Amino acid sequence: MVDFLIGLFLASLIVALFTTRLNGLLLWYAINSLMLGLLALSMGSSIDDDAMILSGVITILMKAIAIPFFLKNISQKFHFSQQIVPKIKVHYAIMLVPVILVFTFYLSEPIVNMIHTHANYMAISISSLFLALLLIMEHSGVVPKVIGFLALENSLFLLGTTATKGMPMLIELGIFFDLLMAIVVINLLFDKEEMRI
Amino acid sequence: MILYLLTIVLLILIAPILLSYIKATKMVLFFKRPVPLLQGYRNFSKLFSKETIISEETSAITRYAPFLVLSPLLVTMFFLPPIVGGAYYVSFVDAFTITGLISLSTFFLMLLGLDSASAFGGMGSSRESFISALVEPAMILTIFSVSLMADNLGIGQAGVNLAEHFPKEHMASYLFAGISFFILLMAENGRIPVDNTETHLELTMVHEAMILDLTGVYLAIIETASSIKFVIFASLFASLFMPFGLDFIAPIAFVIFVLKLFFVATLVAVFEVNTAKLRIFKIPNLLGLAIVFAFLSLITFYVLGD
Amino acid sequence: MMLTLLLTPALFMFLVSFLRNENAKYLLALSSFAILFPIVDLFTFVKPYAILGTYLVADKLDTYVLLVSSIVGIGVTLALFDLDKHVKVSPKAYRKFYRFFAIFWVGLIFSILSNHMGIYWIGLELATLSTVYMIKTNHTPAAHKEAWNYMIVGAIAVSLILFGIILMYASAKPILGEEAMQFDLLLKHAKEIPSPFLFEIGFAIATIGMFVKMGFFPMNLWLANIERASFYPVAALFSGILESAVIVGFFRFSQIAMEINYNNLFIFVFIYTILTIFIVSFLIFRAKDFMRLFSLSGIEHMALIVLFWVSGSPFAALLHFGAHAFLKPALFLSTGVLESNGKFRIPGALRGYKGKRGKIFLLLVSLFLLAIISLPPSPMFFSELYGFGAMINTAKESNHMLGMIGAVLFLLILLSIIFYRFVAIYQSMKYEGEDQDKKVYAGELFALIIFAISLAALMLPDTLHYLKTII
Repeated sequence: MVDFLIGLFLASLIVALFTTRLNGLLLWYAINSLMLGLLALSMGSSIDDDAMILSGVITILMKAIAIPFFLKNISQKFHFSQQIVPKIKVHYAIMLVPVILVFTFYLSEPIVNMIHTHANYMAISISSLFLALLLIMEHSGVVPKVIGFLALENSLFLLGTTATKGMPMLIELGIFFDLLMAIVVINLLFDKEEMRI
Repeated sequence: MILYLLTIVLLILIAPILLSYIKATKMVLFFKRPVPLLQGYRNFSKLFSKETIISEETSAITRYAPFLVLSPLLVTMFFLPPIVGGAYYVSFVDAFTITGLISLSTFFLMLLGLDSASAFGGMGSSRESFISALVEPAMILTIFSVSLMADNLGIGQAGVNLAEHFPKEHMASYLFAGISFFILLMAENGRIPVDNTETHLELTMVHEAMILDLTGVYLAIIETASSIKFVIFASLFASLFMPFGLDFIAPIAFVIFVLKLFFVATLVAVFEVNTAKLRIFKIPNLLGLAIVFAFLSLITFYVLGD
Repeated sequence: MMLTLLLTPALFMFLVSFLRNENAKYLLALSSFAILFPIVDLFTFVKPYAILGTYLVADKLDTYVLLVSSIVGIGVTLALFDLDKHVKVSPKAYRKFYRFFAIFWVGLIFSILSNHMGIYWIGLELATLSTVYMIKTNHTPAAHKEAWNYMIVGAIAVSLILFGIILMYASAKPILGEEAMQFDLLLKHAKEIPSPFLFEIGFAIATIGMFVKMGFFPMNLWLANIERASFYPVAALFSGILESAVIVGFFRFSQIAMEINYNNLFIFVFIYTILTIFIVSFLIFRAKDFMRLFSLSGIEHMALIVLFWVSGSPFAALLHFGAHAFLKPALFLSTGVLESNGKFRIPGALRGYKGKRGKIFLLLVSLFLLAIISLPPSPMFFSELYGFGAMINTAKESNHMLGMIGAVLFLLILLSIIFYRFVAIYQSMKYEGEDQDKKVYAGELFALIIFAISLAALMLPDTLHYLKTII
C-alpha cells in the first residue's frame, strides 16, 4: 500500500512537470498532497502513531484542499494566464527526468545498505526533491514557482514520514505553521501587486 | 488447444463490438443517441458488398498492403497471454517480437498511404511514422518492465505468472508501467489526444488520411485491422495489468475477460470525452510522458524491489 | 521566564505596529532598543543555561551571536529614524516594516538560541519569510521582483536545510530516538552514529542550503540584487543579523560533522569557499555601485568565516564574524548618505561633508572602508592572521600539503584583488568627482558611532579572551 501511494506521489509530480495549464498544475499538486496525506495516514495507522495520523489529516486538509483552492482563487482574482509553458523543452525534460532518477538512486545506494527499513523511499524522496527543483526552474511565472516550492515542501514531508517514521510532533506543527506564514506572505505580495496596478 | 483457438476467435469477434461500444459510450456521454453495438459488423458487411475502386496512379502495393496490415496483427493474436487458466499459450514471444509485429503492420499502413500519391496519404504517413517512432521505445520498455516483474521475458508466460503471483512488492513500478501502457494504448489506436478517427479534417487526420483512397473490401480489411489492433492492446492491458480471474472455469473466465475488455473500452471512452485533441507537435509531450513512466517503472523495479 | 523576557519587546513591537499614532515611531524604536537588555542579562548567566528545557539552551556561542545581532538591530533602528529623509517611505510602510521586524526577531531568537535542529529551522524559516516583506517596503517594481526572487530562492535554500536536517535526524535516530535533533546530544554521540554516510549527505545538503542563503557559489548575485533593490537598512539587517542566524547553524552542524569525518568536511567546504571567493573577487572588481560592492564583499567575508571555522580556528572565525557583523551594517547604513546625490556615483562620494557631523561621518566611513579590507587596526586583520595561520597548520597536517598551501596562496591573491579594488574605490571616492552638499543626520551618525564603539570593544583583551573560551 505504501509503495503504491509513493508511486502515485512520484507519478503526480512527474505529470505536473509536463503540465502546461495552471489549473492542471494545481490539480496535480493537490493529488500529490493527497497521496502524501494518505501515505501518512496509512503508515501512521500501521505503526500506531497518533502524531503521524494527525499530520496526515492536516496535510490533506491544508495542502490538498485549502492551498490549491486558495491559489486558484488568487489566480482567478488577478487573471493570471492559464498558459504556462515550461522553459525547458519537453525533449530535454524527457531525458532529464530519468537522469535525475538514476542519479538519485545511485546517490542513495550506500544508504540502502545501511538502513534496513524504508531505505528506498529515501531515494524517491530525494529524487522528488530534485524534480520539484526542476519544476521551479522550468517555469518563469510566479504561481508555478510557488507550486514548485510547495511540491518541494511535500517531498521534504515525504522524507520525514518515510525515512524517520515521523519527526517530533512539535517540529511538524512548526513546519505547518511556517507553511501558513509562507502563504500569508505570498498573499501579501499579491495584494501589493494589485495596489500598484 | 481448443480454448486457445476459441480465445482467438472470441477476440476477433469481439473486436468490432468494442470499437462500436466506445463510440456508443461517447455518444451517451455527449447526450446523443448511441449507435448500436453491432454497427461494426454492419459497416463491415456494407463495405464488402460495395464496389472496390483502385486509383490508376497506384502500384501493386495498394493491392497487397491491406492484407499485410492485417496479417501481422492476426499473428500477434496467437501470442497473447491466455485468458483461461490451463489453456495453451505461446510462452517464448517477448516484448520485441510483439512490438516488431505491430510496427510491421504500421509500416505497411504507411506504405499504403504513400502509394496513393495523394497529398493526404503522404501527410498521414509522415505523421504516423512520427508517432510510432515515439511509441516504440516506450512500448518496449513498458512490456519489458512488466516482464521483469513477472519474472519471465515471454509475454504469455508473464501474463500467467502475474496472475499466479501478483507483484505486491513492485506496486509502484507496476503502476508506472500501467500508466505508460495506457498512454500507448491511446496513442497507437488513434484515440483522441493523439488522433481522432471520427473526423476527416485535414489538419488533424492521421489514420484516416492514409486510408482516404481505399474503398470496398480493402477498406473493410483495414477497419478490421484497426479494431483488431485495439483488441490486442486492450487484452494485453487486461491480462498484464488486471491479472485476475484466470483460475475460474472456462465460461466464467471468458465472461470476466470480456468484462475487463469492456472496462478498458469504457476507460478509453471516458478519457477521450474529457480531453481535447493535441496539436501534432504537442504529441511528443504525451508520449514523452509515457517514455518517462516506462523508464521510471524499470528503475523503480530495480531500486524498490529486493 | 527568560524566554518571556526575550520575546516581550518583539511582541510589544508587533502590537505597537498596529497603532496609527504619529508617536508610535518612537515606541517602536524603544521596543527595538529594549531587546538588548534581556540579551545582556542572558550574557551574564552561567552557561549553559537552559531557557526552555532542552529545546532552547543559551551557551557561550549563541549568546555572543545574539548580542552582536542585537547591537546591529539597535544601529539599524537608529538609522531608520532618518530613512524618510533620504528616500520616499510612507508611514504605513514604516509600520509594516516594524511589524515584520518583530516577527523577524522572534524567529531569530528561536533559531540562534535553539539546541534543536527542528527549532533552529522553524526560526530560520520564520526570519526568512518575514524579511521577504521588508524588501517590499520599497515600492518599486524592482523591489517587488526581488521580493519574489527572495521568496523563491530563500524558500528553496531553507527547504534544502530542512532536507539535510531530516537526513541527519534519520541517521542518528537509531541510537538517540526522538532526541536525535539536539545539537549537544548529537555532538556527544557523533562517533556512534550508525550510518555516517547518511549524516554526511544530510550535512552536505543542509550546507548547500545555508551557502545558497549566504550567496555562495553558484548563487552569487541574488543577494546583491536584493540588497540593491531594497532600502539600505534592510540590507544592513540581511548582512548583519540574518546571515548570523545562518552561520550559527553552520557552526553547529559542522561541529558534529567534524567529529564524524573531518577530511570530507574540510575538502568540501574548502573547495566551495575558494570557488566562491574566486568568483566574488572578480564580481567585486566589476562592481559599479556601493550596495553591490558591499554585499559581494559580505559574501567574501562569510566565505572566509566559514573557511576559518573549518580550518580549526573558531577564534579567528568568531572574531571575523563579529567584526564583519559590525562593519558591514555600518557601511550599508552609510550608503544612505553616500548615495544621496545620484544613486550609483562612486567618484566624489566622500567629498562635500560640512560641519561637525559631516567630519565625523567622513572619518568613520573612511575608517570602516579601510577596516573592511583588513588594514591593521581592524579586528579583521587579526582574525585573518589567525585564520590563515590555522589554515597553514591544517595544511601541514594533511596529506596534500603542497596543494593546500598553493590553495592558500591562491586565496591570498584573490583577496589582494579585492584589496586593490577597494583601495581604488576609496581613492576615487576621496579624490575624484566634484563637491556636492550631503547632509548627515543624527540617527545614522549615532548608529555609526555605536558600531565603531562595538568594534573597539571587540579588540579589548577581555573580549578576545572571551572569544577564545567559547569553544
